[in-house]
Formats: sequence, C-alpha cells, structure tokens
Amino acid sequence: VTASKGAGQGSRRTLEMESVWGLGGLVLLRDSVEWEGRSLLKALVKKSALCGEQVHILGCEVSEDEFREGFDSSINSRLVYHDLFRDPFNWSQAGEALPGGPLGALRALCRRTEPGPVTIALDSLSWLLLHLPCTTLCQALCALSQQHSPLGGSPPVEPVRVLGLLHMELHGPGPMGALSSLAQTEVTLSGTAGQALAHILCQRPRQHPTHQTQCFSILPDFSLDLQEGPLLESQPHPDPHIPPVEPTTHLTFNLNLSKKEREAKDSLTLPFQFSSEKQQALLRPGPSQATSNIFYEPDVYDDLDQEDPDDDLDV
Amino acid sequence: MAAAATCGTSAGNKGCTAAAAAAAGGKNNVTSFQRKGPRASVPDSGCARLVSIAGTRPSVRNGQLLVSTGLPALDQLLGGGLAVGTVLLIEEDKYNIYSSLLFKYFLAEGVINGHTLLVASAKEDPADILQELPAPLLDDNCKKDFDEDVGNHKTPESNIKMKIAWRYQLLPKMEPGPVSSSRFGHYYDLSKRMPQELIETSKWHGFFFPEKLSPTLNIEPCSLTHGYIKLLQFIQNVIYEEGFDGSNPQKKQKNILRIGIQNLGSPLWGDDICCTENCDNSHSLTKFLYVLRGLLRTSLSACIITMPTHLIQNKAIIARVTNLSDTVVGLESFIGSERETNPLYKDYHGLIHIRQIPRLNNLIYDVSDVKDLAFKLKRKLFTIEFGGETFPNVKI
Repeated sequence: VTASKGAGQGSRRTLEMESVWGLGGLVLLRDSVEWEGRSLLKALVKKSALCGEQVHILGCEVSEDEFREGFDSSINSRLVYHDLFRDPFNWSQAGEALPGGPLGALRALCRRTEPGPVTIALDSLSWLLLHLPCTTLCQALCALSQQHSPLGGSPPVEPVRVLGLLHMELHGPGPMGALSSLAQTEVTLSGTAGQALAHILCQRPRQHPTHQTQCFSILPDFSLDLQEGPLLESQPHPDPHIPPVEPTTHLTFNLNLSKKEREAKDSLTLPFQFSSEKQQALLRPGPSQATSNIFYEPDVYDDLDQEDPDDDLDV
Repeated sequence: MAAAATCGTSAGNKGCTAAAAAAAGGKNNVTSFQRKGPRASVPDSGCARLVSIAGTRPSVRNGQLLVSTGLPALDQLLGGGLAVGTVLLIEEDKYNIYSSLLFKYFLAEGVINGHTLLVASAKEDPADILQELPAPLLDDNCKKDFDEDVGNHKTPESNIKMKIAWRYQLLPKMEPGPVSSSRFGHYYDLSKRMPQELIETSKWHGFFFPEKLSPTLNIEPCSLTHGYIKLLQFIQNVIYEEGFDGSNPQKKQKNILRIGIQNLGSPLWGDDICCTENCDNSHSLTKFLYVLRGLLRTSLSACIITMPTHLIQNKAIIARVTNLSDTVVGLESFIGSERETNPLYKDYHGLIHIRQIPRLNNLIYDVSDVKDLAFKLKRKLFTIEFGGETFPNVKI
C-alpha cells in the first residue's frame, strides 16, 4: 500500500486502514453499476497474498482465467482457487467440480484446518445470495468468519477475513440489512469524475461504529493507492437549508434572563420569607429537629376560642 | 403482608412467620377466634403463600412476584421490576450496542442473586457472553466512583441555593447507589468485568445454536422452526430437570430461572423474517413466543429476548410479536441519524420507548406518565432520564 503526497496525513490514513484491515471478520464490498468493485477485491486479495497469508477464492461470477488476469505469477501461485463458474451444478461429473455445490464449497472452506491467518474472497456474494437461501448463507458466513477452534473454549487466534463482493442493485433491503448486521466492515464504493471513493463503516465489537471516507485508486497491477481527498469524518452534516433546532424559541416563558432582569429577580422580596437564620436552622437537621415546630401567626379573622369551635354555626 | 414484604431473605421471613405465629398463639389465649391457615401451625416451612426467593419481591400494587432487570431505573419504569413468568422483549438498536448492555445487566443480576441462568445465542458462545458481564458495584469503595460519575454533569444553576423551594435542598440528588447483596436491584460498573469466581459459582446453561445444528445437514434449507424447536426443547428440559415448574418437589430452596435469548429472529436462527417480506414460514417466530410464554407461565422463570426489529421486513410481524410478549422496550440510538446533531439530544445517546407493559391479574396498566425517555451511556453506568422535548435535563 502506498500513500501519496502529504506524508503525515497519508500515513495516518494508512494506519486507520491497517487497523480496519486487521479486524478480520466479514468485509462487505458493496459496488454498483456506476462503480465496479471487482478490481478493489483483486487489490485486497493481492495485498493479503503479499503479506504471506493464505488466500482462498470462491469464484462464481467470472472464470478463473479472468480473475487471475493481471496478477503476476508469484501471487497466482499463492491463490487457492475454488471454481464454481465453470460447472456450478456439477453436470459434467468429471470430478473437477466442487462437490455439494456452493453450500458444500462454503462448508469445505469452514473445515480447513491449516494454521495461520487466512483471507477468503467470495466473488461474489450476490451470486451466492441468488442461489442459496439467505438464512443458510448467513449461517455459513457467520461460521466462516468466526472459525471456532475445534478444541472449544480457546478463542481463535488467527484472524479470518472474509471479503464478499455484493452488488447493491440486485438485492432488496431485507438481505442487505441481514448481511450488514453480520459484517464487521462495510465498504460502499462510489465515485465522481474518475475518482473512486470508499465509504467505510467499521464496527468494532462493543464499540461505536466509525465511518470514514477514503479516496483511492487502483493501479494497473492491482496495487491499492490510498489518496488524499475530502476526508469526511463521522457526523452527518445538518442540511444547510434547515436552520438548527433551537429548543427555547417557542416557549411561552423566558428561560434566558439578562443581567438586569436577573438582578431585579434577586432583589425581589418573596412573600412568607423569613430570616435566613431560621431557614438555616430548619435546613440543618439537628437534635432539635426531633419535634417539628409549627410557626403560626394568627390572622385578624381567626377565632381564638379553643373551647367551642362550632360557635359561629347557626345550628 | 407489609412486614413480610420487606423481608428479602429466607431467614428474615422465618423470623416474620415466627413472630406472626407467636402473636397468633398469644392471641389464642385471650380470644376464641382461631387464625386459620398454615402459618400458626408450621412456623418453620416458610409462608406457603409468599414464595421467599432471593432476589425477588412482591409488587406493591398487586402482589405479583417481581425480579429486577438489573437496571433500577428500568425497574422503576416497569412498575417495580419484571414479573416472574413473563417475557421482556427488547427491540434492538441499529448496531446492537445498547440492547446487548441491557441483556448483560439482566444476566449479571441473576449471577448476583444466585439465580440459574440459561443463555441462548446463535452468534456468540454463551460462555463468552458470561465472561463479559459487568462487575457489581458493592458498598463502600465504589460509592465515590458512583458519585463522581453522577456529579460530573452538574449544571451551574444547581449550585445556587434555592430561594423559594429551599426545603428541597435536603433531598438527595439521586437514590443511594451501591448496595449489599440483599437488596432488590443492583448497580454495575461497565468498565470492569464480573469476577471470575462469581461466574464460576453461578449455575448456567448455554445454548449455542451453531453447535446444535447437525453437521450432516443437506442442501435443503432446514425447516424454519428447526432452531426454535431445539431451543424450546432445551428450555423445557432445563425447567423440568431443575424443578422450576414444581415437578420435582425438592426440599431445597426454590430458585428463579433467568432465560436470555439473543438476536431472536435474525437469520442466524434460521428464520427469514429479516430477509424477505413474504416469507414462507412467517408464523414460526410467533409460535415460538406463544409456546415460550406457556413454558414461562408455568414455571418460576423470567425471560429477556433481544430482537432486531429494525431488520424485520414485514411490519405486521412486529405487531404480532409485540402482542405476544408481555413487556416490550424499544431502544433507538442516535448513531448515524440526524438526531445526533440536534441540540435537544446532545446529552443523550438514544431514546427508550416503553411500548407495552403487561396487565397481569389486573384491570389497569401500570404505565408511567412521561413518554419521552432518553438514555445515555456514561463511562460506567447506563442511565435513563426524562429527556428530549418535554423535560430537558431532568433526572429521574
């Protein structure tokens, strides 16, 4: 991975990309008609092959030759290619095709036992979604990306990275939502005027999801080139045409006092106010507080005769 | 009744019944009125009517036995706690951050009270979930942490002595937090894990769905109720074998079974209500809830379920699921939504909607008056406050 111009910011961005890359789990590459994602998939495959990881590719949409095109021989020798494109339903029965179809191929990938970090590229998840029921695919993806060790109890040490290429227009909100909830990282590709943009939504476990935007370009030998660009960080910007909501605008009382108003308020004598000593005596819970005292100042109209309270009745 | 209601432990209750028996016995010498019932005759078996189990208390409104949800503020909103034999359904927020916190609070409360746990998940191993439970805040050493967390957001106006309502200065700002283990609801510290010895002494059963899937499954999609059937059988076995439904009357102390089911309805359980709008077997989830509620009503258990309702495509299913659950609480987090920048909500992380409260043995609901509740996740605590449009910045 090379970072071009602006070494400081560029290296910070590569560090972020590296931390996202190191997370493992399911990485969804969502592309569309306007901006294809297979070249990014191949670039990421090349990156992990160069790091020395094992790379397995489940090819469904394009032929093996087309996928391997553009990689040099050292990388091609590291890729383990499982071909579902040539004979997806195993009609030829020549023994070359993968037994069990797509689901069998996925399960076989789950069961591989070589140690070490591994990257599995699914080209493409859309093809698998169209051929398998969504729930089965989700269960298989979860099993793939978690890779519980057969001993049980000990956490998987090596990160397993599953790269899935997903064509956004082909699927409704249901499968897209279901796959997004499973994914640790979602990369949505878009672009303007020849510049590719990746919106990366990264969900670290038990932390808030982070959102970044990254400009990149893919060189002819499928190296990934991260670039400077409008690095927009997380928050959605409020629409400039709508003024920000101010909660105190339509209240019928005044929450904000000016200095003069505050002074006038403070100097106001309240009714029934007594001296601050009495107030403090009441506030301080002392031993004299055991019996509560009633302070009563009789009014003019009060009847002070305790003997006959009904004296003023006409009965 | 009032005296017995305040006794949380069996020893305390024995004391109460002994006192009642003594009082009744004393009265018998003077009057000819005899007190009927097992109380006077059997002072040491515990009250037959009141079940005295650790971690439960009868509701002050209708005597229903309640357990704590692990979050005292939520207990208060639900009318004292979660009734034994009912289901608490939590509608997950978008990234399942806060709903998993409530799930963990519920389980942690079970560990502290010595209840038996049953944890079911299709995504995470139950043993891993139990390792991540928050540590309880106990009495002295953590009281200052609690106060510092609470007092951080004191607004400048509250420091001025009140001039008109000056008697309210005597009231404490928040209810006293850290507690001993005999209290009903406990507080937890989210920055620490529960100590390993507490988890090991607790009794728990785990159901991890990918392990129960038979490895020789063929290509046809497994029947949609397959995961649910297995889970129901597992729950039924635990309830029967451990005697939570009274089927093995043992002399040992009765206990509560706390069931926690995570992400019910997600595709990992084999249910496709999150994937399509017109699913083949749209009734499997509702059937599951119906049978589950039947199991719960006939046993001493309480259940918490988190469900990703924001993914369910058919809104009619959400309505049915709400009707089939007893208490429904929805969480809506502000992450990624336009409310994140709204100044009204700047102190909060999301909204809590109490969508339904059950009417158990009752004619009226026990609903709180205020509908605008917001939550915020501080460094160690999860707090719920009246927030938003009606009452900015007023704490419960």
